[in-house]
Amino acid sequence: MIESGLFLGCALLAVVGALGAAVVRNLFHAALLLGMCLLGTAGLYLFLETPYLACVQVIVYVGGILVLILFATLFSADVLGASQRPRRALWIAAVSATLLAAVVAWRLAAVGVQQGVDLAAQRSAPGTAPDAIGGADGTVGDLLLGAWLVPFLVAGLLLTVALVGAVATVRRFRYTAEVSRA
Amino acid sequence: VPELGPDRLAAYLAIAGALFVCGVLAVVVRRNAIGVLIGIELILNAAALQFAAYGRFRASAADPQGQTAAVFVIVTAAAEAAVALALLFAVYRTAKDVDLEQTRELRS
Repeated sequence: MIESGLFLGCALLAVVGALGAAVVRNLFHAALLLGMCLLGTAGLYLFLETPYLACVQVIVYVGGILVLILFATLFSADVLGASQRPRRALWIAAVSATLLAAVVAWRLAAVGVQQGVDLAAQRSAPGTAPDAIGGADGTVGDLLLGAWLVPFLVAGLLLTVALVGAVATVRRFRYTAEVSRA
Repeated sequence: VPELGPDRLAAYLAIAGALFVCGVLAVVVRRNAIGVLIGIELILNAAALQFAAYGRFRASAADPQGQTAAVFVIVTAAAEAAVALALLFAVYRTAKDVDLEQTRELRS
């Protein structure tokens, strides 16, 4: 009873936060609502018995990405959202979002009927109790340095390229000034 | 209608679907680049949740493949946010705003 109540709370936090982040006019409020959605998702990760993911979610998403977005709201001259899209574009967006939601719901109903795996039955099966990092015999770290080694290295390369690219985009190089002067 | 609860895969898929639709809505509706960035983060968050849910229900708790995939999605989101912030800064420096309707070029 308490468990399903907490689950409902986390789900509401995630969905209401996402909806608010999408439609609220004030951009600062939208960023804060995004943080609410991310925290709700972290709670859902706890329900999926993946506490490692919940920690990563809070540290990387809420601690890193959300702070970046809050910082980025300072770049906007129109934080309060006075100029939104015209009403006609909003109608088109509403219709297409409803269609998309209908498709998602339709696929979801099919999947839910087919594959309603009972987690409680799986949990009571012997030898499947997860440890603190989420795996009973194979942990995430073993997987990263084993079967997923190449994607792991590619992710490291991606982060390096993103960092260097971000710095190169922001930095003003001296030679461009000289070229434009000449 | 599938039964929804913390022990059902369909519940997580429904939440992830709702987050995804909200993200697409934000990307389409927002005129400000930061609103679009928030929408993209919502979409990636939904993708990570899907990976974790399928990894938990289709595989077993002993096999954390889904978790690992979700970690990679989160890493991609972090890299994307860093690059997006740099681009926003570049746009802001030339245009003094990040309105996507007004922005035409990166160089002044």
